[in-house]
Amino acid sequence: MGKMHHILLKIGPAAFRIASAWRQPLDQLAGLYRHYPAPGEGQVDFTVRLEPDKPWRRHIRPSVHIGGDFWLPDAAPLPLAQGLLAAEMGMNLQMALGWRRHLLLHASSVKKDGKALVMTGLSGSGKSTLSAMLAERGWRFMGDEFALLGLDDGKISPFPRLISLKNQAIGAMQNLAADDRFGPEMKATPKGDIRHLVPPQEAVTRMEESATPALLLFPRFGHARELREMGQAEIFVRLTQASTNYVALGESGFRALTRFVDRVPARAMDYQSIEQAEELIDGLWSKLP
Amino acid sequence: MTQKYRAAPAEDLIWHDLDSMKLLYHRPSGITHILADPAPAIFEVMEEAALAATEIIARLTALFDIESGGDAEEIILARLEELSLLGLVSRVPG
Amino acid sequence: MMRDARRLVDALRNPASVEMLRGSEWTDLISMARAESLIGALAHRIDHAKVPDRIRMVLQDAVEAHDLARLQALWEADCARRALADYPGKIVLMKGTAYVAADLAAGRGRSIGDLDIMVERKDLPVVENALLDAGWEWVKPDPYDDQYYREHMHELPPLIHRERDRMIDVHHTILPLTAGPTPDAGEILASAVALADGLYVMAPADMVLHSVAHLFADGDLAGGLRNLWDINLLLREKAEASASFWTELDERARLHGLADELARALRLAAALYDTPVLPSLAGKATFTDNFYVRRLLARDGYGRETRKLTRLAFYIRSHWLRMPPLMLARHLWIKWRKDGKPSG
Repeated sequence: MGKMHHILLKIGPAAFRIASAWRQPLDQLAGLYRHYPAPGEGQVDFTVRLEPDKPWRRHIRPSVHIGGDFWLPDAAPLPLAQGLLAAEMGMNLQMALGWRRHLLLHASSVKKDGKALVMTGLSGSGKSTLSAMLAERGWRFMGDEFALLGLDDGKISPFPRLISLKNQAIGAMQNLAADDRFGPEMKATPKGDIRHLVPPQEAVTRMEESATPALLLFPRFGHARELREMGQAEIFVRLTQASTNYVALGESGFRALTRFVDRVPARAMDYQSIEQAEELIDGLWSKLP
Repeated sequence: MTQKYRAAPAEDLIWHDLDSMKLLYHRPSGITHILADPAPAIFEVMEEAALAATEIIARLTALFDIESGGDAEEIILARLEELSLLGLVSRVPG
Repeated sequence: MMRDARRLVDALRNPASVEMLRGSEWTDLISMARAESLIGALAHRIDHAKVPDRIRMVLQDAVEAHDLARLQALWEADCARRALADYPGKIVLMKGTAYVAADLAAGRGRSIGDLDIMVERKDLPVVENALLDAGWEWVKPDPYDDQYYREHMHELPPLIHRERDRMIDVHHTILPLTAGPTPDAGEILASAVALADGLYVMAPADMVLHSVAHLFADGDLAGGLRNLWDINLLLREKAEASASFWTELDERARLHGLADELARALRLAAALYDTPVLPSLAGKATFTDNFYVRRLLARDGYGRETRKLTRLAFYIRSHWLRMPPLMLARHLWIKWRKDGKPSG
């Protein structure tokens, strides 16, 4: 068998072992996650494996197959230059398919005044960019990919992995954040141009602190500024679609999600710029009970 | 012989209101259903008895402001068949 | 880093052995158990052992995931029962669904994928039509695959339910028609045991022999550790329940032409899981038993498949087992031509 290297990472409540046939993606991860704590005793929840697609692909046009404890058939391999993206996708896959200690919402989340703002929507809605931007403007970053909804307490737990910036968001954030917080720029990946950003330090040191959700937004970038009320049935259905493990959690997922829909006010938000979004959010936030 | 129907046992069902709709979590299957009128009302009047569609309509008209006659039986029968395909209502030999 | 699955087998056989594990060895154990679909079994098995906190949570997750899988499997069986309510013949549940429906130890924490049922061969068209009426649809639109299934396999081409997205495999016997041994399907149906809801499971000896047939004939021993764990639990429970079990097992193995496969499975179960077996049925250990053990343990602490050459040998062997040589050549040729063609 080919030799494997590995590192251990802890992000919010989850611990990972990332094993790789190549050092390069692990060195990049180790650098970007250098301020994160290590999982105790070497014990983790999930193993991610980055392996050559075919044995000869370790050295010749190396191509990375994403595997691990949980995996999908037909996952397309990535070139080694995108190994860091492969590792992040591998961790997301473990969470999406294997995590059961929270209801997982495909959503970003930020926190202010001890309460959480949750933003969910399709890819391209701008939820990830919004969370990154708000995190530089007085909000505490909690996560750009998954919001973890507590099954018993209804609180949101942070999952502050590296922020995955796409396309135009890369340039926008480069104007705001210091150079040493960025990973390598990866051009023309299956998800477009990608560059990872280390979350603000406080997001990492306080990643064990959960917060009560106070507002749920369905942002949509590029449409004329508008806030729209939504029916509970629409909210519920869209959240089941945004959850990777709603079905897998059975009754406890049903209870957590119905409580969330009951208690958390929600709006659809169309916006055309970050300033507009910030203004709309501040307006809603100031009127919360 | 008239086809009778019986609703799934109450302890298998968890109900939750969503505006005008009702959510129904069905424990044995782990499936969440979203039900619109008159399906939730049908469950309410069926309790755990085996009933024919006409008996269900009689109970519905007694409880709610629903017109009997017309196509009421057709509508209720269609809903009952849908619910029985989902395993939420079972067909009982009458 | 663990180099093979020995520690996983040890943990299942002797739960107290996990207390010797240190630090990252636990992570290795979990990855191997997940890769072998044995995480649920492991979680139940080492329930009382002293386990580090994070690993305890991982195991609890597995218990809950499998509890739900069990519910869903039973529900799927019930959906099939309702769809086939007018079918007068026996509907026999197979594999994981049978274990949970009959509340057997082998069902605890077992992962269950598709619903497998067995009916009489002549009734396949009736059953197929009833399922199509109740919302199941064909998975494979490919006419070659379809014809291949119908002519040479022991089941209908798989059907999937259009709303619940769950598959059903309808079998009429327990091995492909092209395999060497030809089990007596009529006898299996005749002896099947009724459950409370009117569905059936196989009689104890047949259930064990189906699991044995599944271990050797279905693929290249992939998932073998789990299949052998099923066999281990079934043997223990059935032998305990009935004094005549071993005699019946012997008779049924001969009837179905599976005596050699049974003997091998008994030796492997005894070797890996300490299963108490009847020595006269298990026969004498052979040199190739070691080869099988090596194959079954070919998994490292990252969860990777190891021993590629051993696996390859079993892969080729498994195709020879399932198909006569000429048909294998034809199958591989057609597959190769189809896979080689650009699609779309």
